[in-house]
Amino acid sequence: MSLSTSEIERYQRQLTVDGWNQERLKSARALVVGVGGLGGVSATYLAAAGVGYLRICDSDRVELSNLNRQILFTTEDIGKPKAALVAQRLSAQNPEIKIEPLSDKLTETNASELASGCDLIIDGLDNHADRLKLNKASFDLNIPFLYGAINEWLGQLSFFHPPETACLACLLPEELQDPKPTPVFGPLPGAIGSLQATLALRYLMTGEHPVSNTLLVFRADTTVFETVRFERRPGCGVCGKTVPSGH
Amino acid sequence: MTIFLRAGGQLRAMLKPDIDHYTRKVEIDGEKTIGEILKDISLDPAYVALIYVDGVMKDLSFRPSDGQTITLQPPVSGG
Ligand SMILES: [Zn+2]
Repeated sequence: MSLSTSEIERYQRQLTVDGWNQERLKSARALVVGVGGLGGVSATYLAAAGVGYLRICDSDRVELSNLNRQILFTTEDIGKPKAALVAQRLSAQNPEIKIEPLSDKLTETNASELASGCDLIIDGLDNHADRLKLNKASFDLNIPFLYGAINEWLGQLSFFHPPETACLACLLPEELQDPKPTPVFGPLPGAIGSLQATLALRYLMTGEHPVSNTLLVFRADTTVFETVRFERRPGCGVCGKTVPSGH
Repeated sequence: MTIFLRAGGQLRAMLKPDIDHYTRKVEIDGEKTIGEILKDISLDPAYVALIYVDGVMKDLSFRPSDGQTITLQPPVSGG
């Protein structure tokens, strides 16, 4: 896939980055589910970098209490659907790419349909139950799942692509004591969303995934990063089952 | 022996840290699992999503040794 003159100029400062592969990014397809604090940031960097096709899915509308951290939105956006707004803003940022906004509510039934045809699923969700739906779709479709989550001063992320790696259900139980609303230090989703974008771009260009079987934890209150190793769980209710064809 | 429990998020207040903002020193008699230690200090394990020690994930059956720091991670599920 060749680059136009305007693309060469737009991406000039990254084309000479060691290991960069703009053509691969141009032909890549990514799904970002949830475009609030985490997904708004990761989707912005993916769009700016020139990922050729972005499917962005969010059923929420902008609320005033989003604005301490969801920096794509303004006070005037309150009440408007997030997916359409993000698509509009990212298209203005980079008209060279295709963006498909979807306002569907994520369900067990439509998760696979949403992810179908994508090279990578990027987590921008705000609850564990929905993440498990994406994790299952990731396994069923053999599409890697780039997980990220935040709470107060804590952020964490990992890369799941079983059977090569563990999955989210290997790491965390189905039921979590999941208090709502989650307190959030505003810059934290920016940090974790940027790291997700970093890992996504690396993966889409090179196939490398350095945080598999590793949870990267960021403690924003002490500015400390920790890596925690974990293994695939043989009895996992998702990836411990028979591997679907296509793997 | 002495172990150190460390927690952030909403678990921090439940842990009742005493040696710094995040950490509680716990004296235990003999070998005990993390599950037993949490019971001794009346911390409900339902609020603990992950447990790790020296960069490796563990579970409630892990038996810490003298001087180890055990990190208790609350559910981290916002976005
Ligand atoms: Zn699994």
